[in-house]
Amino acid sequence: MLTFAFRKLLTLVGTMIGIAALTFLITNVAPGDPARLVAGPNATEDMVATIRTEYGLDKSLPEQFIVYMGELVRGDLGTSIVTTRPVLEEVMRYAPATLELVFVAMFLGIVIGVPLGMLSAVYKDGPLDQVTRIFSISGVAIPAFWFGILLQLVFSVDLEWLPVSGRLPLVTRPPEFVTGLLLVDSLIAGNFATFWTSLQHIILPAIVLSFPCLASILRVNRAEMIEVLQSDYIVAARAHGISSFRIVALYALKNAMLPTLAMIGLRFGWMLGSTVLVETVFDWPGIGLYAVSSALSSDFKPVVGVTLMIGFFFIVANTLVDLAYAWIDPRLRKA
Amino acid sequence: MTALLDIKNYRLDIGTFDGPVHVLKGINLTVNRGDTVGIVGESGSGKTVLVRSVLGIGPRNSKVVEGSISFDGQDITNLPEKDWTKIRGIRISMIFQDPMTYLNPLFTIGRQISDVIAAHEKAAGQGVSSKAARRARTEELLDQVGLPNPSMLFSQYPHQLSGGMRQRILIAMALAGKPDILIADEPTTALDVTVQAQVLDLINSLVEKLNLTVIMISHDIGAIATVAKRCAVMYKGEIVEQGMTQDILNRPQHEYTQRLLAAVPDIDVAPERVAAEVSEAKPGKRGNLLEAIDLKKVYRSQSGTDFTAVNSISLAVKTGEIFGVVGESGSGKSTLARMLMRLIEPTSGDIIFDGQNISGLSGEPLRQMRRHMQFVFQNPHSALNGRHTIGDAIGEPLRIQTDMSRRDIEARAEALLDIVQLPTMFKYRYPHELSGGQKQRVCIARAIALNPRLLILDEPTSALDISVQAQVLDFLQELRSELNLTYVFISHNLAVIRQICDHTIVMKRGEIVEQGDTEQIFLAPREEYTKSLIESGRKTSQAANLQV
Repeated sequence: MLTFAFRKLLTLVGTMIGIAALTFLITNVAPGDPARLVAGPNATEDMVATIRTEYGLDKSLPEQFIVYMGELVRGDLGTSIVTTRPVLEEVMRYAPATLELVFVAMFLGIVIGVPLGMLSAVYKDGPLDQVTRIFSISGVAIPAFWFGILLQLVFSVDLEWLPVSGRLPLVTRPPEFVTGLLLVDSLIAGNFATFWTSLQHIILPAIVLSFPCLASILRVNRAEMIEVLQSDYIVAARAHGISSFRIVALYALKNAMLPTLAMIGLRFGWMLGSTVLVETVFDWPGIGLYAVSSALSSDFKPVVGVTLMIGFFFIVANTLVDLAYAWIDPRLRKA
Repeated sequence: MTALLDIKNYRLDIGTFDGPVHVLKGINLTVNRGDTVGIVGESGSGKTVLVRSVLGIGPRNSKVVEGSISFDGQDITNLPEKDWTKIRGIRISMIFQDPMTYLNPLFTIGRQISDVIAAHEKAAGQGVSSKAARRARTEELLDQVGLPNPSMLFSQYPHQLSGGMRQRILIAMALAGKPDILIADEPTTALDVTVQAQVLDLINSLVEKLNLTVIMISHDIGAIATVAKRCAVMYKGEIVEQGMTQDILNRPQHEYTQRLLAAVPDIDVAPERVAAEVSEAKPGKRGNLLEAIDLKKVYRSQSGTDFTAVNSISLAVKTGEIFGVVGESGSGKSTLARMLMRLIEPTSGDIIFDGQNISGLSGEPLRQMRRHMQFVFQNPHSALNGRHTIGDAIGEPLRIQTDMSRRDIEARAEALLDIVQLPTMFKYRYPHELSGGQKQRVCIARAIALNPRLLILDEPTSALDISVQAQVLDFLQELRSELNLTYVFISHNLAVIRQICDHTIVMKRGEIVEQGDTEQIFLAPREEYTKSLIESGRKTSQAANLQV
């Protein structure tokens, strides 16, 4: 198991290098002269040339790549042109908000999706199964921004139950920084009022973000459960007198969780990407919103930084899924 | 004395899209305490549905139309699910056909057996005992079924164990509740001959030691005969004959039983064919069609350990002969067969087909060579694409290997169906509309479509019922003389090998243990392994071909 984990960590490093190389290539094949972009529309040729030397853009591509990788290893993601602050610092500042949103959305997706999928499989073709089918098809089909605006109109504007946007009201002082996740930090500080407010703020964007993910987890889990419930060892467990609840909730679910986990890993990455839309709609101060505003002002270092960050989280999540796989399935541990 | 299990005029329908199917048609069967009852029947005869109904785990959408099942005086025909918990797995328990798939792969052996014990204690209302107590009981059960080192087994997973060990574990689970009745559903079908004999011995010893009542179902009348004193023959949802096993074997009354018994190949009877064959053979005509020289296959696992599946095998298959390869699972016979066709790349060694070394071929020349050698797989149910019609399946090699026109291919497919003795209209059908034997004929038709010279048959009859097996074997022999074919015939069934093969090699752990003329091997085996193999095969074969 340990060597397995170690090998997974090695692949993690390898993939990270791959992602860094890819983002480097993409920014360099993108049209437009970055030096001219940085210098602005009214710059003279001299100014552009100065900036080019300053940013090292006059060197050959392989040289630039080596410099770039060297900077990455030192944790230097460059400087934002708009804010003139290091990109890493800014990304780290915005990342907790995004992670908090994704974690809550993922939590909803798993906690609702897995049991509903399980029940739909047990009562296959029954009323519940039909309802969850409609539910999950709409989950995959409805565009996130539209669904977000709809929820805002109903729950914030009409019913006035929940805030329209943001993480916390301007007047509320955020709890002392520990993890950066407001829900956690406010609990650590024992400040339940802030916990409650931030929960109210996060609920709508989290629902929007989790809806498609929940739908696909539900469907995958349902399909797997149906298949597993027909397998021989389930028949055997019944014949041996094991209770139906135990068979479904333990024996079958553990087997059905393997493909579901793979789906969860994929959806995690997808969610990180989707935060760009959801954060814009809900004005959520995360890396998605940061990437969008940077892109709009042609500030490309932050965009690359965010891409790298999302890639990193995605790989970490999938490595965790791989490890969970081996933890669940003894047959994989040897490989 | 009331019967322990009494099935009276039991009729069961399964609702399908096309209306109800009558699966069981008026079954009458009585089992007394201490009885060992066998139920023989081929696939689709309803024997599995019958015993599963006894446990209340019958198929979905099934409906009892008439009759009743009573157990120990209690009517259990339509017992509600909550009442089953006191019976299922405790008073009536069951072991299954394929020990590979009937154990949950994600839980340890100990966990699975302890869970069964806990479930039984709960059902008995006595409260679940401690973990340690359950562990002790689990190890006791493992010991009872003859498994060595129970404490180590406790924390192992199913995939770490052999088929025979898994079957013993399933038996241990079935014994956990000290059952009155043990139902054994084809307990030996998926096992090797030597392991089969061991498992049957184990069941017999348990019957004696624990005074078990056993209901065993099987299509293998030999296995039934070694365990069951009484037996019932099922055919198309009915019991056509029942009585003492000895009587049925010696004096079968029903026409179906007679057919079934006649179809069982006898390991101790030399086939008549041999004599005819020898007189036909002209000396000098028989060159070697296929030769393998020093063939070797080594698999390297990720951790770097080597596993030699086939170790330096040399063999020569003469033109026109049936070359038998016999061995237990894991002996490397399938790997060998696939290497001969280069479906698996050999690690080293040469394969010479008709004088040409094909081990170095690749691309187009290899494709051309494959026209002359074709493969028939073990399981016809999975060897055909369910979404292609039979006509498409047979025409496929013609489409790939020739530039025949659509119409010519269709005509050829019809002719091939004719050769394998199936109606030409079958070309419009889909695989699921055919029986197992019919599907295997289609697979053979597909294999001979290109007029190959060599057919490699990998256990072509082991997925088929016995009477169907007999038909397919007869048919294969006819086909050989008609089309001048040479066969490499792989089987774990010694009786089948003896019936049709001219020359045989016996394989064990990737090596040839013994080879020679088939009759020679059966009459005077030289090696201990061959002797033990024949002895194990004889155990069930003899029981079925009882001459008192």
